[in-house]
Amino acid sequence: MTRRSWWSRPTRSLFTLYLPVAPFVFFALFPLYFMLVTSFKKNAELYNVNATPFFIRQGLTLGHYEMLSKDTMFWSWFANSLIVSIAATVVSVLIGILAAYPLARLRFPGADSFGVAIFITYLVPPSLLFLPLSTVVNRLGLSDTLWALIVTYPTFLVPFCTWLLMGYFRTVPKEIEECAMLDGCNRFQTLLRILLPVAVPGVICAALFAFTLSWNEFLYSLVFVSPAELKTMTVGVFSELIRGDIYYWGGLMAGACIGSLPIVVAYVFFLDYYVSGLTAGAVK
Amino acid sequence: MVNRRQFLRVTAGGAASVVVAGGVPATAQTRELTFLTIASFVPETDKELKRQFEEWGAKNKVKVRLDIIAHLQLVTKKASEVQARSGHDLTALGPGLGDADLYFDHLVDLNDVAADVAPKNGGWMNPNDYLIRGKWKLLPWWMPPFPMAVRTDLLEQIGEKNPDTWEDWLRIGKKGKAIGHPFGTALGHSGDANVTLLSIMWSYGASYVAKDGKTVAINSKETRQAMEFVKRLYTEAMDPEVLAWDDASNNRCLNAGKCIAIHNPISAFESAKRDKVVIPGTQREIAEVIDHVNTPRGPVDRKTTTGYWCVGIWNFAKNVDLAKDFLRYHFQPENQAKWVDAGHGFNMPFLTNLTKHPVYKSDKQYRFIPEVAKVTVPPSWPGPTTASSQQVLDLYILPDMFAQYATGKMTVDQAIAWAEKEMQEIFAGRKRKF
Repeated sequence: MTRRSWWSRPTRSLFTLYLPVAPFVFFALFPLYFMLVTSFKKNAELYNVNATPFFIRQGLTLGHYEMLSKDTMFWSWFANSLIVSIAATVVSVLIGILAAYPLARLRFPGADSFGVAIFITYLVPPSLLFLPLSTVVNRLGLSDTLWALIVTYPTFLVPFCTWLLMGYFRTVPKEIEECAMLDGCNRFQTLLRILLPVAVPGVICAALFAFTLSWNEFLYSLVFVSPAELKTMTVGVFSELIRGDIYYWGGLMAGACIGSLPIVVAYVFFLDYYVSGLTAGAVK
Repeated sequence: MVNRRQFLRVTAGGAASVVVAGGVPATAQTRELTFLTIASFVPETDKELKRQFEEWGAKNKVKVRLDIIAHLQLVTKKASEVQARSGHDLTALGPGLGDADLYFDHLVDLNDVAADVAPKNGGWMNPNDYLIRGKWKLLPWWMPPFPMAVRTDLLEQIGEKNPDTWEDWLRIGKKGKAIGHPFGTALGHSGDANVTLLSIMWSYGASYVAKDGKTVAINSKETRQAMEFVKRLYTEAMDPEVLAWDDASNNRCLNAGKCIAIHNPISAFESAKRDKVVIPGTQREIAEVIDHVNTPRGPVDRKTTTGYWCVGIWNFAKNVDLAKDFLRYHFQPENQAKWVDAGHGFNMPFLTNLTKHPVYKSDKQYRFIPEVAKVTVPPSWPGPTTASSQQVLDLYILPDMFAQYATGKMTVDQAIAWAEKEMQEIFAGRKRKF
């Protein structure tokens, strides 16, 4: 047997690809696996300190999912999260595009420092902003409505989208826009018909990030919305399933599993765009 | 044709006028009363409160809205409502009476409601404790008394009965640990750790603040004795995991069949009963072998504390009179009785007659709860509750002090000196109050 035949393609893949990647896959998927396993365990097994926490030994139960559906307003919270996240994402990406284009393309005094300032805005933590924002939300009469979240989420999403899209727009050659302008396009038409179709991966990447940030947001949702039927999933699950010193672990994990699905689906569908959007400009 | 500048002027002006005018004008004025409370440890309590709130709303033709959040979220929610000077009319406050001092200028005086409620319910248990700067800025609402929850089968196995003192529990913990069932009390950043450590301090005659409410009293011979005891309890009767425990951990330890005893309200027992948790390796329900006995006494005293959950009315509330009216309704003896019943006694009001509620005789496991309530005092005892005394608890200075010594990271003098300095800064106002 020659060395070449022993080092066949499957073996080579195993040692150079699958085995090196395995620890990372395990690290990334373990929390999801643990959530899933816990959500199907019976309470008796959950409390049993002698039971192996990584496997289900005493039978499966759908009780936690049933409790979530029947005893809480979980699906309303889920829908609220979806509405708020989609709306905030659309608004933020649109504003981000309109802000990123001039900052990336036009030469005007202070353009660079303005770009940096936008990024710094993104770094201001929401825990500092929620108190002054609560005054603004109240003055606008938006307290206890989903609009409060749709309006406030862009405060951290727009700077992020703008910053990300600025970087992406700069990787698109200016020349193709100049050609369009020579053919009679104005700035807006150039943006719409030339730049955006080329920058789809960057826009999708920004939208995915914005959606994920909105979906996971907790603080503004807690502060600006109180009625049970208007809560988002992050706050609703926490409010209902952590009662003082009693944690409903099965229900919490069931909620977390269902809550992960939209993000998983979104990333699975747009993974290629997402990666190319993130790595654009990395190699010239 | 509107040009760009005109468009900007009109839209910016419109937005500014909305902000300056104080929001969108209401198109229809309906009477609505809103109430923010915390998710009760026993869910049926919330259902009964909601029923009473809706019943009162229907009688008075008032639209009502009860919003429930996790107790850990209350601090954030209170801060944002006070900042915006808008939010709910009624609000849960706590844990602890410190909110009354902290939000003194934002809460309505409830002297009239407190005076109306008391006679119908046999009076407030310790009214002087609840007065903040001489006023009723909140009504003490409910507390979960802190007995000792113990596994009777294990007690029998190690040949112990009728434990009553902290020394008894140390001995039981040692024997329990030897057979794989240690004693369990949190020594980390949790409310339970504050409660149990204060109980031990008082039982040795120590306290962290003097009767004047201003002098830090932690540096004493009695504190040193309490710390020596806790060190023995930690090293001889408990597992090191208690340093990382939160409020749920001791419940889990008892219900998992590991801990022989925990210092905790009846919530662990209630959840074990509800979930039909069994003793590992058997088919026997663990709730059958859990008993509750009085909070332990020490060489000097028998005292404990707990979460003092209160209710108040913001002075920026739209319907102060309606809010007071609902409080009077909720504090009627029959409504209080139904509410306590729904909570299986976990939510004991601070009203003398309610400490004798039949629920405490309905189950032998509850027999000591009224006794525990009698020796329950606010955490700042013997001093009055202030924002500073509350901050000492919120920063978990006591658990840190005990843990530093118990784990050998500091000597007893170093740990006390550290805690004393922290507390002096708080009481001197050098540390920002929230």
